[in-house]
Amino acid sequence: MNPNLIPAVDPAGLPAPLWLFHVLLVFTFFLHLVFMNLTLGGTVLALVAHLKSGGRRDDFRGVLARRLMAINNYGISLTITTGVAPLLFIQAIYQQYFYTATILLAPLWLAMLALLIAGYYAAYLYKFRGAPSRGSGGGVWLSVAAVMFFLIAMIHVAVHLVHAQPEKWGNLADGAWSVFADPTYWPRLLHFILAGLGFAALVTAWWAVRRAAEGVDSEDNTAIARWAWRWALWTTVLQVVDGFLLLMVLPQPVLRGIMTGGVVTLAPLTLAILLGIGLLMMLARVTNPVEKPGLVAGTLGAMILTIAIMSITRHQVRALYLEPSTAQFSFEIVPQWGNFALFVVLLVAGLATVGYMLRRVLTSPASGADAA
Amino acid sequence: MDYPIWDLALGGGMLMALVAIPHVIVSHFAIGGGLLIVVTETLAVKRDDPELRELARRSSLVLILVSTVFGAISGVGIWVVAGLISPATISALIHTYVWGWAIEWVFFILEIVAALVYYTTWDKISKGAHLLVGWLYFIGAYLSLVIINGIITFMLTPGRWLETQAFWDGFFNPTYWPSLFLRTGIAILMATTFMVFPALKASAERRAGILRYLGWWMVGGVVLSYAGFRWWEAVLPATVRNLFSGAEPALTTLASTRSFTLWALTVALVFGLLILIAAPRLARAATAVVMALAAFAFFGGYERLREGTRKPFLIHSHMFSNGLLVSDIETINDEGVLARSGWAARGATDSLSMGRQVFRVQCSSCHTLDGYQSIRRALPTYDDMLAVVSDQSAGSGAFASECAACHADVSAADMREMLPTAAEMAEDPEMILDLNQGMIYMAVSQLYELGEAYGAAPRGEMINTAELHSSYMPPFVGTDEELEALVEYLAVLARGDDVEQASIGGGR
Repeated sequence: MNPNLIPAVDPAGLPAPLWLFHVLLVFTFFLHLVFMNLTLGGTVLALVAHLKSGGRRDDFRGVLARRLMAINNYGISLTITTGVAPLLFIQAIYQQYFYTATILLAPLWLAMLALLIAGYYAAYLYKFRGAPSRGSGGGVWLSVAAVMFFLIAMIHVAVHLVHAQPEKWGNLADGAWSVFADPTYWPRLLHFILAGLGFAALVTAWWAVRRAAEGVDSEDNTAIARWAWRWALWTTVLQVVDGFLLLMVLPQPVLRGIMTGGVVTLAPLTLAILLGIGLLMMLARVTNPVEKPGLVAGTLGAMILTIAIMSITRHQVRALYLEPSTAQFSFEIVPQWGNFALFVVLLVAGLATVGYMLRRVLTSPASGADAA
Repeated sequence: MDYPIWDLALGGGMLMALVAIPHVIVSHFAIGGGLLIVVTETLAVKRDDPELRELARRSSLVLILVSTVFGAISGVGIWVVAGLISPATISALIHTYVWGWAIEWVFFILEIVAALVYYTTWDKISKGAHLLVGWLYFIGAYLSLVIINGIITFMLTPGRWLETQAFWDGFFNPTYWPSLFLRTGIAILMATTFMVFPALKASAERRAGILRYLGWWMVGGVVLSYAGFRWWEAVLPATVRNLFSGAEPALTTLASTRSFTLWALTVALVFGLLILIAAPRLARAATAVVMALAAFAFFGGYERLREGTRKPFLIHSHMFSNGLLVSDIETINDEGVLARSGWAARGATDSLSMGRQVFRVQCSSCHTLDGYQSIRRALPTYDDMLAVVSDQSAGSGAFASECAACHADVSAADMREMLPTAAEMAEDPEMILDLNQGMIYMAVSQLYELGEAYGAAPRGEMINTAELHSSYMPPFVGTDEELEALVEYLAVLARGDDVEQASIGGGR
């Protein structure tokens, strides 16, 4: 009888060194986080704005809700698209933990697909039927989309915590709901929700400031920028508090691992904390963002950098959670360097093509007979 | 075998079908639609034809709503479901083809961004720029097929990979090119069936011409599909092809699927010729639905055939449908399933629970207890035996349905001679239950011997399953104790007794 619940590593081996997959996983997850924040935070923020506007098209918050959801129709697609790569790489290096976690939470993990489809179509229905500009109100569609994306975030956090704690699998197999009682579950979920709200609010403010600077709907855009800026400020205040709370409730070996990990773990964490506090100071200094476009752009840049750094820390925390388990296994490395090089070349060529296409589109406005 | 098992009443295979079939229909539409829409727009620009342009524009809305939303999510859904029902298989595929999938992701980015831009920029950018976006969309979509086709065909015909384990040997396997050809035809076919709906909204004077235009595309798609299908069949190794074709196909259900598939394609062609080309004035939403259903039936039939001919493998001659590696048979026979997997061992406290765990690990990927491919219905019961001895008619229907699969060399009359009479059975039902258990033991033992045959098969080449007993079944692997435990568990199921349902991961 085998008492070990952790499946063996895949006998096929890894087609590149482990470190390369760690880098790719963190990098692509960061890309995914940027769009995910916009989708999750943007939809919740749009719902709040829509409700505050009373569904009126002449209220600046109604304009904001419509604008955010217009972006989200692309944002949701790009969240899914950028999510594919980390989903691929996690299956390459953490498949023993990831598959087991998803099986233990199978109904929830499967439900994620239905929630995503419902949330996505609800977002489109809001755009086509419910946005204030359509005159019919549409808080229901927006509520559905926001609730769906929130539930998806809950599922992802649950799967993450289960996959990182193989020592709890035995108990979880008898009742997977106990993952919601994990002391880190709610602070971790809140960390994602607040990040989403803060990021979406900051992007909204940045966009409104740009529009105002171009002289477009100056009054509305100034009001939108101020409103969104306040959301960015207060969610970041809560985020800093929640971040420290999350750090405190981490299991002792994990916290100890971070604190004794030297520059490798302490540098990203310290930098992320400093960036968080710095963000707070930048946000608190401004009351009317339209007057300080440079600072607004800088704040947005600092938040993107914070997300990137926190992606590294999150990955390190996972590695520390799993250290007792991963130490038992070693991958056979069967490198496919030629295929990796082909991937890199095609990635560069693909992104260059996308860039060329977007530039061509942006520089080819047309009207009348030449309009496509 | 190392992972926990998700007990799903529906059956894992059925769940995968529910996600995968709509996905392949939509994803092929996304590819073929990319071609048709951009060609249509190109023609509209050249001919200055606003009606054709409107067809492209309306179709692009369908494309964006169906393919970038449902197509993308259901594509991820296939990974999600595969991870739940066949984690070892998806893991093996990912560890072999992670760079293939990474490359497909690049094309996916191009496809999705181009689709979003294409739909959004109607009337907003120059015609040339818009056409460029449309063509880039098609290129991205088609190249993603070029990649995924290598991985899908690898599973059925891994070819030289079995010997070399080399990425490109598996990728450009024997069915790669025919399958790409076939799927190109299917993509065009799917696109025409979807685009007929927006075409019906064209003005009365132009509708016939536009439907004819789509009709010729459809005929082209059918011809490519048929040619690709026959080419695919021709290059299949005889060991696989003989399962469903030839004078005496080994699996008659698959032979029926093949006929069904080709008839469905014929119906699609006839409808295309009659309704779209010969008499487009007859075209209605209802006829478009029938045509679409025929095309979907063809595609679904082909996919069913492709999946069915792979049985009992998920990766032919390498990994069975329950995640067992051919190369692990001997080791597991020596050590046992429960020594191999902590999840299998969990909850195996006595012989019956051990049997249940062995069943869940080895059989439940194909068999549910009472639902799809019910194991209980496949087992011999007291009532089955009673039916056989009570049915005195010539040819004995009961014998044919209950016994003939395993006892083809015995006639119904001879079988009745060997069995106790109905009165004797009523007197001593336990004797019949013991007899049933003996039959189950024989069947599982045959599956154990099947494993030895697989283990002895030459490595590095496709295994000829048609030569083996129960060619569509994975073997039983495990120790004698585990075999007896499985038999005991199955015998309890056959009695109709309630057996405690196991939870995910192996009971309590």
